[in-house]
Amino acid sequence: MKLLIVDDSSMMRMTIEEHLKNYDIEIVGTASNGKEAIEQVTAKKPDAVTLDITMPEMDGLECLEEIMKISPDLKVMVITALSDKLTGLKALKKGAREYLYKPVTPDELMKGFDLLFNRPAS
Amino acid sequence: MSTQKEQFEKTVNVFISSIENYFDKLTKIPISTKPPFVKTQDELLLKECTGMIGVSGIKKGFIYISGDMELFRDLIRRYVKLQDPTENNMLDMAGELSNVVSGNVRETYGDEFMISVPIVFKGKPDNLKFPDDVPIYVIPFQWNKFEAYMVVGLI
Repeated sequence: MKLLIVDDSSMMRMTIEEHLKNYDIEIVGTASNGKEAIEQVTAKKPDAVTLDITMPEMDGLECLEEIMKISPDLKVMVITALSDKLTGLKALKKGAREYLYKPVTPDELMKGFDLLFNRPAS
Repeated sequence: MSTQKEQFEKTVNVFISSIENYFDKLTKIPISTKPPFVKTQDELLLKECTGMIGVSGIKKGFIYISGDMELFRDLIRRYVKLQDPTENNMLDMAGELSNVVSGNVRETYGDEFMISVPIVFKGKPDNLKFPDDVPIYVIPFQWNKFEAYMVVGLI
């Protein structure tokens, strides 16, 4: 499984990478805004993306629409601080498969990936 | 129509609950808060490292969380598992903390509580000014042994 991590916080990108170290997932790239994410989806063809919403240049919801046009089978897990239900619903309507609220613990992250990849719980 | 006191208590409680959840969930070390107060003096309550969020939509103003580098170093070690973070890492963590605490209050205020991406800065910038027409609530807190401020200016 090839994964792209999209978050404007370098600490969040690093956290996700750190907690995936012992997991069978290859991180093919990271991006800090929606525009970079679109470029990376086109260039690196990941199977899955973790996607923040509040980002500079292009936010996650707009980015989600664009990357689903490029790669309709892409498995997207939104990881965001925006904890209202409407934003979650918007993301799911636009094609996200999973939605996690920050602050996210390593356990929640792992469970999210298990659901994203349809694997038995780790 | 709520009174100023009710408004103060309601706003402060929403933000305290959000920051308590952040530290409890990620570090299992609870924060303790000192009595919140309305800021009346010009003095800027800033520590070494600050993450600030602009708010628009149904509320307008700002939120910032300011702590010394040691607080963010310790938080990064515990959560990110990075043992020797740089100054930029600590500033980024301050921004992420303020983003999460502000984003989580949308559970109460809804999706029209719009937040900006974080602005981060070190120390006390000369050009930093806060609006005069916004009540500014200061919530001093301590996490682990580190003292910090969460400051909320919203109308």
